[in-house]
Amino acid sequence: MALKAWINGDESAKEMLGRVLTERPFLLLPPFHRVPLRVGNVVEVVGPSHSAKTEILMQAAVSCILPKEWNGVHYGGLEHLVMFLDLDCRFDILRLAQLLKHRIVEANGSNSNVNWDENDVGVWEDIKKEPKIAYDEDLFSTSMRRFLYVRCYNSLEFLATLKTLCHRLQKEREAHGVSVHILMIDSIGAFYWVDRASTSLSLGGTNRKSLSLQSVSEIVVMEIQKLLLVHPMLVLATKPTILGDNYSTSGSKRKWSSQDSSDLRTVTSGSQKLSYREYMPPVWQSFVTHRILVRASDDDLANRRHQNYSIYLSEWSFPSLNFLDKLIVRDAGVFTVS
Amino acid sequence: MAPLKSLERDYPIIDSNFQQFCASHGIFSVEDFLLHDLYVLVAFVEQQSTSERLKQGITQVLSIIDGQHQPWLNGMELLEDGRQNKHVLSTGCEGIDFLQGGLREGQVTELVGPSSSGKTQVCLQAASNIAKKYTGNVVYLDTCNSFSPQRIAHFIDQILDPPFKEAKCKVLQEVMSSILCHSVFDIFAMLDVLYQLESNLISQMQTGDGRVRLLIVDSMSSLITPILGGSGLHGRALMVSSGFLLKKLAHEHNVAVLVTNHMVGGEGGTLKPALGESWKSIPHVRLLVSRDHGSNICNMSILKHTSMASGKATRFMIHG
Repeated sequence: MALKAWINGDESAKEMLGRVLTERPFLLLPPFHRVPLRVGNVVEVVGPSHSAKTEILMQAAVSCILPKEWNGVHYGGLEHLVMFLDLDCRFDILRLAQLLKHRIVEANGSNSNVNWDENDVGVWEDIKKEPKIAYDEDLFSTSMRRFLYVRCYNSLEFLATLKTLCHRLQKEREAHGVSVHILMIDSIGAFYWVDRASTSLSLGGTNRKSLSLQSVSEIVVMEIQKLLLVHPMLVLATKPTILGDNYSTSGSKRKWSSQDSSDLRTVTSGSQKLSYREYMPPVWQSFVTHRILVRASDDDLANRRHQNYSIYLSEWSFPSLNFLDKLIVRDAGVFTVS
Repeated sequence: MAPLKSLERDYPIIDSNFQQFCASHGIFSVEDFLLHDLYVLVAFVEQQSTSERLKQGITQVLSIIDGQHQPWLNGMELLEDGRQNKHVLSTGCEGIDFLQGGLREGQVTELVGPSSSGKTQVCLQAASNIAKKYTGNVVYLDTCNSFSPQRIAHFIDQILDPPFKEAKCKVLQEVMSSILCHSVFDIFAMLDVLYQLESNLISQMQTGDGRVRLLIVDSMSSLITPILGGSGLHGRALMVSSGFLLKKLAHEHNVAVLVTNHMVGGEGGTLKPALGESWKSIPHVRLLVSRDHGSNICNMSILKHTSMASGKATRFMIHG
């Protein structure tokens, strides 16, 4: 029986073509554009707080929830669901709505210099009153409904969400007719200190597992692996650098020289240097297939040409591309600048 | 989380046989379930004689687990919740109001600045303004005995319309009584107050007038700095969980949260916000306040914001 299955091959050409077509690489916006990503990949975006990590995720989410085409206008989206697990509990839906609207307006090409009045911050009302330019309300709400969201205030809620995710994604897939393409986790280190401290509170008992950073990470990785078998998705996770600001200062170097050097990941590129100190357990580290480092730049380029925008640097560290991208965040999203 | 034993009453399927089976795998509570590979557990169940019943038990526990995370929402539902429940409260402080319209309910806003840069003044002004304008309650956690009822009365006096001067006393009394000040001097006292507040909010579920609209902790850093010493593990865990508690109160009960933080000398002698990297990911919005030497003109700028570019700055005056 097993032999026969082996001789028959795994799949027909037709099945394979179907699979390859659905698993085609994602064409995502910066900084993901340098490496083709596929479902099953686990991408980590690492950087200190305030380095546009969440912004990068949101931009990818918008690309995913927009349709490819709508009423004859090309939007170039993937028309799939996005699952956003918010462990930082700081997600701002307003920003996502703003990004989405910008993309819709942009694709319609109606008016290139639309005045999205920055000072006008009557935030919630804006959404309703703003369309001086027509944008498709229907398209907007259909796309927004493809964005799925759960927030978690602690590791146990995170685990409870993951344990029930498989079943829930199935239901969403039936309801929307499309599957979830991207699973986003913002951010994976959110409960690091709490979980580490709970280790010492281990309950007695012989074979009873206790809540610890190690056990939580193991289960998280295991659950996501199982989930990916049933629902092939791209996993995008952000990770804050919580162990001090680490880049290229002599003081911090000295501090770590006594530590295991493998703990310190450094990427050199010309005079710039992005580095961070790993703190997640190896089980998570080995689960990650791609890694991007980002940080805010203190570059003075900001003052010359892009006055009101902070500049961020991003670099692929895994696979290592010796190339530093400069990004700016505008109202309409993340852009590369040369 | 609930021990399995206590669930037996509500869910008869979780009987002693099921509990015994779970105990043999080191599972005594719903929490233990979360830490187990349920696929492996099901594989063990298959070998049991009563596998059907045990499987039903596992399904039952899974549906209990399903109730233990926050609800699923889609983008439109989130937006709707925001529109209906997360209002922007005007603080009367020109700095904050100019930069972002005020304090947003559901968010934690942090004021960072060196000492005597006007942080407490901003807090007092926001408390008076929000208590008066929105007839809401304000919970004020004061950690350094810097709460000043006189300043509050002064701020209220400023925003009262002149024709109502005769009724001033009454209004003043009303507004003053809706600002509840707690003196807390360590983080445990603060957590006590916050948990108490949370359970009050859950049991009352108030809407409209008299609900808590603003929670102020002035200053957060003076509570946390003392516990960050030593190896720092438990201190940081306490710090992060206090942060999550604040975010939870803010979001679940539509409260605007305002905390203050001081500055410490960083590398190269430049000032930077205290409490380090791990705290940075707690507040939604981080505003930097500084005061020109010897004057009452203050500068405020955005260090971090969930939906606005950082770097935007403004100047405002603290009235004497």
